[in-house]
Amino acid sequence: MNADNTAFRIFRESLERLGRDLPADDLSDDERVRRAKNTFLDKLDSHMAVDLETCIHCGMCAEACHYYEATEDEKYSPVYKFEPLRRFYRRELSPMRWLFRPFTKDVTADDLETWQELVYEGCTGCGRCDMMCPMGINISTLINVMREGIASAGLVPAELRALQIEQREKNTVFGVGAVELKELVEKIRQQGTEIRLDREQAEVLLLTTAAEVLLFPDALAASAKILNRVGADWTLLSKGFEAANVGLVSGDESTQKAATTRIAEQAKACGAATVILPESGHAYQAMRWEGANEVGEKLPFEVLAISEFIAREVSSGGLKLKTGANGSAVTYHDPCRLGRHGGVISEPRALLKELGLDFREADSNGRENYCCGGGCGEYVIKRSAPLRQKAFEIKKREFDETGADAVITSCANCRINLMIGAQNAGWQKPVESLVETVAARLAD
Amino acid sequence: MHKDQTLGEYLHAHGVSRRGFLKFCSATASLMALPPSAIAQVAEALAAARRPSVIWLSFQECTGCTESLTRSHAPTVESLIFDAISLDYHHTLQAAAGEGAEAARMAAMEENEGSYLLVVDGSIPLANPGYSTIAGISNLDMLKETAANAAAVIAVGTCAAFGGLPHANPNPTGAVSVSDIITDKPIINVSGCPPIPVVITGVLAHFLTFGTIPELDELGRPAAFFGQNIHDRCYRRPFYERGKFAHTFDDEGARKGWCLYELGCKGPTTYNACATLKWNEGTSYPIGSGHGCLGCSEPDFWDHGSFYTPIAAGLWGSREALIGAAAAGAAIGVGSALAARARKKKTQANEEATSS
Amino acid sequence: MTLLDFARGPALQWSLIILVFGVMWRIIGALLIMAKKDLSKPRRKTMLRDGLKTIATRSLPEHQFEKRIRFQHLSGYAWHIALFISVLFFAPHIMFFESVLGFGWPHLPNPVILGTAAVSLAILLALLIRRASHPVQRLISNVDDYISILVVIVPLITGILAFAHVGARYETLLAIHLLSVEALFVWFPFGKLMHTALTFPSRFDAGASFGRKGVKA
Repeated sequence: MNADNTAFRIFRESLERLGRDLPADDLSDDERVRRAKNTFLDKLDSHMAVDLETCIHCGMCAEACHYYEATEDEKYSPVYKFEPLRRFYRRELSPMRWLFRPFTKDVTADDLETWQELVYEGCTGCGRCDMMCPMGINISTLINVMREGIASAGLVPAELRALQIEQREKNTVFGVGAVELKELVEKIRQQGTEIRLDREQAEVLLLTTAAEVLLFPDALAASAKILNRVGADWTLLSKGFEAANVGLVSGDESTQKAATTRIAEQAKACGAATVILPESGHAYQAMRWEGANEVGEKLPFEVLAISEFIAREVSSGGLKLKTGANGSAVTYHDPCRLGRHGGVISEPRALLKELGLDFREADSNGRENYCCGGGCGEYVIKRSAPLRQKAFEIKKREFDETGADAVITSCANCRINLMIGAQNAGWQKPVESLVETVAARLAD
Repeated sequence: MHKDQTLGEYLHAHGVSRRGFLKFCSATASLMALPPSAIAQVAEALAAARRPSVIWLSFQECTGCTESLTRSHAPTVESLIFDAISLDYHHTLQAAAGEGAEAARMAAMEENEGSYLLVVDGSIPLANPGYSTIAGISNLDMLKETAANAAAVIAVGTCAAFGGLPHANPNPTGAVSVSDIITDKPIINVSGCPPIPVVITGVLAHFLTFGTIPELDELGRPAAFFGQNIHDRCYRRPFYERGKFAHTFDDEGARKGWCLYELGCKGPTTYNACATLKWNEGTSYPIGSGHGCLGCSEPDFWDHGSFYTPIAAGLWGSREALIGAAAAGAAIGVGSALAARARKKKTQANEEATSS
Repeated sequence: MTLLDFARGPALQWSLIILVFGVMWRIIGALLIMAKKDLSKPRRKTMLRDGLKTIATRSLPEHQFEKRIRFQHLSGYAWHIALFISVLFFAPHIMFFESVLGFGWPHLPNPVILGTAAVSLAILLALLIRRASHPVQRLISNVDDYISILVVIVPLITGILAFAHVGARYETLLAIHLLSVEALFVWFPFGKLMHTALTFPSRFDAGASFGRKGVKA
């Protein structure tokens, strides 16, 4: 898959139409504020309270943010992105709220509307600021609460709202449902890879995502190939295959919970002991770290990213790879929600090294990695395109400095966003999938 | 001596040579920080001065001020002045007693109406006039009566100037200073516990020479002697600057003569001439002997905490109060957190009710 | 009661009481608000160690971050360290602590302390100017930030003046210095100076929450 591909062009065109003609809601300003405040009240806990009390306004978080670095615009200071939440906390929950109230402005509908741009377009939730903050404040968590408050106030940007409504009501994403999945499964089978679909019982439940179905079917095929090679007892389920969680991405809690619950129920129904997430950062976060809390109980199955699963098989000897470099140098882009927020940092590197590729680390990698700029659903927001392009220049510079011929990553959305940036900038190097790279080099 | 005899005639009659007299005048001039050109003026004025009548009243005092003044082994500047004045009433020094002594006081007041000097040492008790009486007359009454026709009042010693030891917490006698009672006469406070002898006589010399009271600081003390603090003239100051302090009275620092700040020296906040004029005819002063300054020329010097607590130390410390404050703060913290929790729960319950 | 007596007595008493009262109130009130248990399966169960580690390592940012914040990072630690040296190792201060705590410790020579105090003050003034002029800090700063920096700067200035016996009589300079420190005590629980205490649970949280996911925070 490269950026000239017809499917990619069609996808970009569909993004242009996304969110148009959405009906406006009829919420009053007061109602918006009330709902936002309720969400804030629900979400704020003692960890966030300590964080909010500790901020010293040093502004170092801005120096970690790719949007601030790309624009030098102070409105992208991470601490500023949750400013109304800070004020709400100070007025309503902080231990000295009775003393601070008279001096703290209340949250208004104007605030919510102004901050919509900052939390949806000005922030991808990448968490680089979390790592920078000298006080150890989990800034991205607070910005996410701000986002959830704005979402509950009915102010999700149109493009994301369209996707969220689609997943909530139709159980599809980008128009990809059971029908489209089955069509793709057939195609892959015809290409010679066995896909197990809708088996009643299986040890391993594989998930996929609309981006793979529409743009990166080879990644799905590669996953299937590997699972078959290790002899896993696995299945795809047409009733529960979509790993993408538009609720998490849009800040709409009920949609997030519904999407997670659907997968959990399907996994339980087929008795799966392991659920494998496809190459998608936010999908990993949604199930691995937030799934149990959404569902309300410990998950009865193990959750692995596909790269984690593969690395485990390789290190236990269950999967043998062809080693021997093929001469090309590669670098790896850590998806924020898989790496920094997910904890899957060493496994992809272990695989690339096992393959004997000429692996080059970017200056900022692993936990310091720069976000691709399109995460958290941002790349569907048209208005943020110029900003994302500026942020792409940072990635481009780092990739170029490694001297690598290709960028490998393990998230379909990172892949899409980097391809968009590359296409706009005329940058020629390919952005490839880790799973596809591994599957192409299985030992005979 | 006859009342009409001038000071110069009196001194001459007592065998003080002209040279000795001039030595005294130049010493007096330098004491009062006058230029050498003023010595001639001092000599001329003193030679022609009438011996003033001085009435010395002793109230709640320990007699230390008188002891300081009169402790001299050889004719000194101090004794010269003392001989120059006509000390018409002084409990310790006078020969008379009882009604005879009081009669002498009344006679001196009458004969020198408006021109006698009143010297007071000791504080005046107001809680009960009976706490200190002389010949059945309370200190308060005697002071008011005697000051009424005085030219000026010299309050000698910290007790008379500021209340001194009797005035210290809890001040059971209701002791007050002279200036708390007399408000219509010029008062010179010569504080110190006791004051340096030559300071007292320097004040008298100024009065005799110029007929006026010397320049006073805001506490009514002669600025020439009380205008600088001990700290600025202390010979141990370099050690203070370098941070070399004695920690106990016999440690290495004490033996090497380091600064006594840590042992409670009040030099930096005490204004007196001890560090320059010194005591016992210029022999030494407390710091020179290895003990910190007590601040004895300052008001309420008994009440600024221990003499051995440094000025930098706090005057308050109560573990109980701080533990109580911590407990109270924790309690309010818990309360605010519980209230926050309750609010969260209520909101969650409401949301669930409306969404289901 | 002289101004110095007041500063060493009632002012010290009440400012310390307010300090202790307010600090306890704010910390406990924040820590106890409520946190839902995280039901996800941790990648590793070393949260205590991860949290404690981050308390230390957050002061040593990775090169990629450090190169972008170098001035603030170095000057921030420099003035803090210089201030702590001035506060903790100046002989009269140790005498003060001994009167409150009951024990003291060795001191550093006075010229060293004058040097560290001057360095601390100079850096603080530079950072104050930065706060008022740098776009990011101007946007996010509020009255609390300026008061907090002022209640630190004023004791430094009044302390240096008292040390040098410059500007007024010593007892006045010392009283003003003590009162300025007591003002800091009173402000401490209510402003961002509380980060002194709150940094520890905050960094610990970061270390523990990322640590359970297998990420070094």
